[in-house]
Amino acid sequence: MVFESLSVPILGELTLLDLLVFGIAIIVVLVISRIVGVYLKKALSDRVDPTEREKLIKVIQAAIIIIGVYAAFPRFDINLADMVVVGGTIGLVVAFASQRIVSNLGSGLFLIAERPMKPGDNVNIGSFSGTVDQIRVLSTIIKTYEGVYVRVPNEKIFTSEITNYVANVARRFEYTIGISYRSDAEAALRIIRDLLSSHPFVLAHPAPSVFVDALSDSSVSIRVFIWAPSRVWWSVRTEMLWTIKTALEEAGIEIPYPQRVVTLAPGAKIEVSHVPGGEGPA
Amino acid sequence: MFGRYPIPFKVEESGIRISVETSGTFSTYVRQTPTGRAEKKLGFADGDLLVNPVEPVHLPQEVTGMVEFHFLPIAIRPLSEIRVHLLFPVEIGVFSGTEDTYALVDVFSLARPKYSLYGTPERGVITRHIETEVYGDVPPTRPLHEGVFSLTINNTSRDWVWVSRAVFESSSLRIFWGTRVAMSGEMMVFSRQVGETWVNKMPPEDGMTEAVRVYPTRKSLIPEKPSYLMEYGVGD
Repeated sequence: MVFESLSVPILGELTLLDLLVFGIAIIVVLVISRIVGVYLKKALSDRVDPTEREKLIKVIQAAIIIIGVYAAFPRFDINLADMVVVGGTIGLVVAFASQRIVSNLGSGLFLIAERPMKPGDNVNIGSFSGTVDQIRVLSTIIKTYEGVYVRVPNEKIFTSEITNYVANVARRFEYTIGISYRSDAEAALRIIRDLLSSHPFVLAHPAPSVFVDALSDSSVSIRVFIWAPSRVWWSVRTEMLWTIKTALEEAGIEIPYPQRVVTLAPGAKIEVSHVPGGEGPA
Repeated sequence: MFGRYPIPFKVEESGIRISVETSGTFSTYVRQTPTGRAEKKLGFADGDLLVNPVEPVHLPQEVTGMVEFHFLPIAIRPLSEIRVHLLFPVEIGVFSGTEDTYALVDVFSLARPKYSLYGTPERGVITRHIETEVYGDVPPTRPLHEGVFSLTINNTSRDWVWVSRAVFESSSLRIFWGTRVAMSGEMMVFSRQVGETWVNKMPPEDGMTEAVRVYPTRKSLIPEKPSYLMEYGVGD
């Protein structure tokens, strides 16, 4: 009896049952989109900027709802063939108009999934160097070290080489320090090792490496390899270089200027004249 | 020096001098140690401050949440268990507030910090590096300088294993103080490459007070990790 009353056409061939099924389908779709939204919010919580995450979730939820409504449409006996023609034409126009946007969107989704960088990382992308400020769905914001705002389309980032200086928890840097041939290289090595061992962020493992690397034209070259936590490596690098320079000088170890020994042939003469205003012989 | 001090106060021990002087509605906190000095304004002139040992991962700045003990290799028989005692540097925290609303005012230490890498640069973790002797019995200590970590190592594998490092999550550390500063923990060795560590939540001996930790004061949404899986080896 109830089923018969629901099957009575109320508008053309549209029955109350059709409306009921459509309504239930919409409710199910809304519930599904909400569940997916909650799941995405949890899954992407530490991967994407909150604002962009919300936008992305809304796009995906809208897509779910559109697909659900489309799936419920046959109950209205809508001619799908006509819809395909009209929809296809509109889709073609939209696709041509927005292919770069879609490309950027796709690249953005891949960047979020692949995670070659995250907000706060120091990176070099193409000609831009700086700190990642935000990873958006269509573009990424880089704050350069000069404090300049740069918006890079995700498509460009996806096809560029990305150098992430802090992706690993530790990184190595090095110095080459030249000391004079007259200075005690053993003492210099010992002083540098002591300084490295007393600095908290020069990592104990992997241990720093200090050695005489080359007997150069003007100096004995000492190489220093240091591992430091990526979060503080720059401050360690700048601090240690000056600390080493100061300590070597205090120990009487000379860091020489470039110099050249000139040997004159027997009987050769050299004329030295003083340049007015100069600091020494020309 | 560890304990609760009503404002204003002045306390001095082992070269550490802490004072809080009131001035109207606020007070001035001053801490002087052989390694440095700190001065802070507190927006209150009553109540008290708590001084106790904290997780040793805050100095000179926080870069990790892991603590790594490194010591001379110990050979452990298959399917056997031993208990050893290690030393760790004490970091001293000064807190204001009570019970659930503690706020960290200052952290300092008489020990020199050092950091290290456990694992690879790609997948490993930065650790607070603690180079220590291994003791069979609890060694004498200076509570403001170092504490004792009593570690039970259980070799569950059927091979001899050389153990020379133990890595712990600092969020799970429970430090106790009394006549000495102490922690205790366990290490389950599965192979030369893999082990699991965790810290005991009970005091190593009766009469000790559990120290207020820095980690809960952060109200972090990241939950404490009760154990740590050492995947990059238990030896050198």
